[in-house]
Amino acid sequence: MAVMIEGIEVSKYFGGLAAVHNVNFRVQEGEIFGLIGPNGAGKTTLFRCITGVYPATSGKITYKGRDITQLMPHATCVLGITNTHQVVKPFSDMTVLDNVRVGAFFGRGWKQGEVKDATKEAMRVLEFTGLAPKVSFLARNLTLPDRKRLEVARALATRPELLLLDEVVAGLNPTETDMMIGLIRQLRDNGLTILMVEHVMRAVLGVSDRVMVLNFGEKIAEGTPKQVSTNPQVIEAYLGKSYAAAAKAEQQSNQQVSKQ
Amino acid sequence: MQVKELLRSWKTWISLALIIFLLLVPFLGIGGGYLQTLAFLTFLYVILSTAWNILGGYTGQTSFGHATFYGLGAYTTSILVLRGVSPLVTMPIAGLIAGIYGLLWGYPCLRLRGQYFAIATIGVGEATRLLMLNLDDLIKNIPLLKEALQDGVLTGGATGLMLPTPEDIRAYAMGFYYLAMGLMFAALLTSWWVKKSKFGLGLFAINMDIDAAETVGVNTVSYKNLALVLSAFMVGIGGSIYAQYMFYIDPQTVFGFPMSISMVLMPTIGGIGTIVGPILGAVVYIVVQDRILTANIEIGTFTLSLSTLHLLLYGGLLVVIVLFEPKGILGLQKRLVRRWGKRAIEAVPVKKMA
Repeated sequence: MAVMIEGIEVSKYFGGLAAVHNVNFRVQEGEIFGLIGPNGAGKTTLFRCITGVYPATSGKITYKGRDITQLMPHATCVLGITNTHQVVKPFSDMTVLDNVRVGAFFGRGWKQGEVKDATKEAMRVLEFTGLAPKVSFLARNLTLPDRKRLEVARALATRPELLLLDEVVAGLNPTETDMMIGLIRQLRDNGLTILMVEHVMRAVLGVSDRVMVLNFGEKIAEGTPKQVSTNPQVIEAYLGKSYAAAAKAEQQSNQQVSKQ
Repeated sequence: MQVKELLRSWKTWISLALIIFLLLVPFLGIGGGYLQTLAFLTFLYVILSTAWNILGGYTGQTSFGHATFYGLGAYTTSILVLRGVSPLVTMPIAGLIAGIYGLLWGYPCLRLRGQYFAIATIGVGEATRLLMLNLDDLIKNIPLLKEALQDGVLTGGATGLMLPTPEDIRAYAMGFYYLAMGLMFAALLTSWWVKKSKFGLGLFAINMDIDAAETVGVNTVSYKNLALVLSAFMVGIGGSIYAQYMFYIDPQTVFGFPMSISMVLMPTIGGIGTIVGPILGAVVYIVVQDRILTANIEIGTFTLSLSTLHLLLYGGLLVVIVLFEPKGILGLQKRLVRRWGKRAIEAVPVKKMA
């Protein structure tokens, strides 16, 4: 499998604050890669370094071997990287169809601007995400789950190869969460590589192939969901030292039990 | 099919009648050419408000500095005509220079967002006015730039520039009437094309959410600059027509802040971000201005000239519009239809479903 995106010692400072500090990561093609960590850990900042909203202060990010560290978001989008926003940002006074058409027009492969083709592509994506019955609604009139879906649909219309999902499940009820997870799996099966930031553990641990954990801007763990969720450092970061100690003791006693 | 529908619509007939009437205006001689002048000014202002609307309405970047383009267009034409260039040739040059100037201050200013951009444009507008006011004195001792002066005059400072008047002024005015009309239709066509095109979709995306537009691949920096340059080009041509029609320009009029304000006002009155809005706004603006500038209120022996108050009136109007009907006349019309024409609205979705 080829490497899709790789970060080498990526750092981003805001003045004296290290939002992301020397983080290395490597995502393979066709993988779902989860990114978790407590609030303020630098997950969204790392996303923004990848898409180019904030160029990294130091370090290097390569996409399929190409250096994209200093590219603007619209340039990375044309290369095939796009993201959804944590706080949904629909074009509120446009219809759902037009929202997605913007993505279809300006993403990859619509240089000529054929209106018909872009509309067809937009409809295809809307059908896939289940928004097809609401094409003529104004985006401002959608419910939150629909806005989240619209966010995904608009990103998909740009025909990305690498999709960065920033908390798409946050704020959804369990049924909607399951639908969204199903959608993400389906996307991976269609060949997309997905990088997702998520706070809902059920979602991120259930769907990811590998997970990276950030805390205060630094990477503290990486591995399969199972490895990560039992890692004492991760438990400490989320729940505090006493829980980590308790978890450690429990783990040891479990091991002793299994030995016996 | 479409043609048939067009023929059946009353709107088509009304606009057709209006266009024919406008074509005939110079021959009718209503009010001794008064109507012709008024119509000419309306055409000019429709060009200006349509141009402003591309940047301010479609892209959502409110500019209070569009008088710089208007003035530059007028000055470019006057300076070139005084040096013996044919007036019509100066028009595209005026547009180009305005466009280049737009790029010059647009590139740094458009990095600012929302109200910060608006404030910066006020500064640019004033700085340009002062620069043009004092340009002759500034360059008269600089070796290379000195060559641009003609009898010690380039911009003429506060006195302005006077153009030679042609002999047959009536035919000249008539020619310009049709020229302005043609250019107005060209401007409206451009506006329509921008709105329908991929370019326009990008501009609307920038207007609604610039970050989201950037993530889906809209090159926001160059799109904003392109919109500004296009807008500046059109305003520059407008300024060029004004100079050729009035034969006299001075910095206070063409570079003045009221000129910038008028370009903000017209689309806002009519309906921002639409094609018809700027036309309605320009008509209202011209008619109101024409009435008010000549009107007097007599209270007993005391006469109050309204012309001194017209800026106050526009300021008040702007506040009222922004507070109560941000979408202007078109928004008001929609609201009225919604309130009194409920049946008509209800019928529409049913029709669509079938």
